[in-house]
Amino acid sequence: MMLLRLVLVLTFLAVPLLSYGQKAKTIDELAKMYDASRCKTCHAEIYAQWEKSHHARPLMGVKGGLMLTPLALKKGEKGSTAFSEDSPGKMTIKNYPCFKCHLPQAVTSAEDSVAVELTEALLAKDAAKVGKLQITCIVCHHDKAIIHKRELGAPEKGVLYGKRDIPVHMDSTFKTVKKSAIFKDSVFCGQCHGLGPNLEFDQAFQCANLYGSYLHNYVSGGGTQSCQDCHMKNGDHLLAPNWNDDKASSELLAKAITLDVQTLGYEWLQKAGTLIPKVVVNTKITTSAGHRIPDG
Amino acid sequence: MITKFKDKDGKAIEKKEERHYHPQATNCRDTKMKYGAQWKVANIRDTSLQPLQAKKESMEFVLPDGVRSADVTVNLFYELTTPAQKYPIHSITKTVSLDK
Ligand code: HEC
Ligand code: HEC
Ligand code: HEC
Ligand code: HEC
Ligand code: HEC
Repeated sequence: MMLLRLVLVLTFLAVPLLSYGQKAKTIDELAKMYDASRCKTCHAEIYAQWEKSHHARPLMGVKGGLMLTPLALKKGEKGSTAFSEDSPGKMTIKNYPCFKCHLPQAVTSAEDSVAVELTEALLAKDAAKVGKLQITCIVCHHDKAIIHKRELGAPEKGVLYGKRDIPVHMDSTFKTVKKSAIFKDSVFCGQCHGLGPNLEFDQAFQCANLYGSYLHNYVSGGGTQSCQDCHMKNGDHLLAPNWNDDKASSELLAKAITLDVQTLGYEWLQKAGTLIPKVVVNTKITTSAGHRIPDG
Repeated sequence: MITKFKDKDGKAIEKKEERHYHPQATNCRDTKMKYGAQWKVANIRDTSLQPLQAKKESMEFVLPDGVRSADVTVNLFYELTTPAQKYPIHSITKTVSLDK
């Protein structure tokens, strides 16, 4: 886990972020555009929680597994995929449909050269470089904050979005916080947590489909809580489970899942004169989650 | 979930039953289940734990001749990506006797 931790250098220079229209050409440029390390100065607790969350390492897989590697492999090579090409130089943003949810800023703000560089980094197992690409504060509090763009327009430059309006925000770049219509709603998380197969691509595939489960098995059963109600109590940004923490994950699951075991020993009369000694074990498992467990 | 049995005088009798709870997907080009987002296309079966619903099982074990008692252990754990990555959740052991 220590290996995954990024060393973030604090800079007090106001770097022009999200200069619209200008796309990042390198991993470093993309990471810088969405860099949120300065938020730490004032939001230390939230930052520390986020830093340990899966959102802070969306291309790393569990325990540093670099899960995009199969896509980076040469086409035809063992383990390669329909998204692979015969040389790293041919890889484009479109070859990584995973970005839709694992790194949405790559779709809106990166040139294809970023995909080439990422492919090379994956093949070289350069975890430090891959780890620079994160779902930062800005991805959620800016890019993903508006889904009614026809009515409300796209997220504005220099504005963050949250649960309420804050006319004067102390940050060097984001000088205002505006209320997002969806920050308390499950649909906000649903943008990335999956409805089912991703059918909009030329090669359909499926990853997370937990939001589908929430809508069709929890809401339909009368469930009323949102993702935030259950996962972000007191503004928590760790958004557990953090699968890199074995002990905490076990404890969390033990609280969320109950197991009841009832047993019976008796002799079953199969037919006259033939008693079969039997043990019957009845189990009952319940969960307090608002969706299937496990997903994916 | 694994249910194990051992008879009281320790003679190695161990019976195992497993249940796997998870969504199961294919690539929709053949009937083989796949792991990994880059291979999966749609769920064809879903045995995962559902919200607001209990998952119930009833399993039966026939004891060998002369055995009147057995220990039942039910282990529930979460497996991530590989069976080696296990997160234990619950472990319950009960002794079942055929004598009153
Ligand atoms: C110099 C300190 C400072 C920096 C840097 C800073 N913030 Fe803030 N931020 C604040 C303060 C103080 C508030 C609360 C203002 C209030 O309550 O009126 C706030 C409020 C917010 C809110 C609104 C919370 C709510 O209640 O809905 C969000 C979201 C937010 N900040 C995100 C960020 C992000 C993301 C960054 C980094 C890009 C950042 N902030 C950088 C000081 C800072
Ligand atoms: C619809 C959004 C979406 C798309 C598209 C998507 N993922 Fe995911 N993926 C998620 C979410 C959300 C999670 C974590 C939660 C879960 O598994 O329910 C996840 C988890 C994973 C995990 C498990 C590792 C972990 O840290 O939890 C792997 C591996 C993975 N994705 C690989 C991929 C690959 C490879 C692609 C592209 C072929 C892809 N995903 C495309 C949303 C997506
Ligand atoms: C995965 C998306 C996501 C990421 C990443 C994220 N946030 Fe949030 N944040 C939210 C949501 C959703 C809420 C509202 C939660 C709720 O309903 O209480 C929130 C709430 C907040 C609040 C208000 C907390 C409160 O107690 O009212 C602040 C401040 C904030 N975020 C700052 C940050 C900072 C700083 C970062 C980066 C270190 C960050 N967020 C990263 C989604 C995100
Ligand atoms: C920008 C897309 C995005 C948004 C928005 C988002 N998530 Fe995630 N979330 C992901 C991805 C991708 C992962 C898996 C990262 C990885 O590979 O480890 C993840 C991981 C998680 C995990 C860790 C569990 C696991 O199996 O990895 C939880 C819990 C979670 N998200 C909850 C939420 C909640 C609750 C919200 C809304 C407040 C939310 N997320 C919003 C993309 C997103
Ligand atoms: C009624 C409460 C509740 C609601 C609503 C809820 N969750 Fe969960 N969620 C849980 C519990 C409990 C777990 C089990 C682990 C834990 O305690 O965090 C869990 C686990 C998860 C996981 C890990 C899944 C896995 O494969 O093991 C993800 C990802 C997640 N939730 C995301 C979400 C998102 C996104 C939403 C909204 C669409 C949501 N949750 C709504 C309670 C809830």
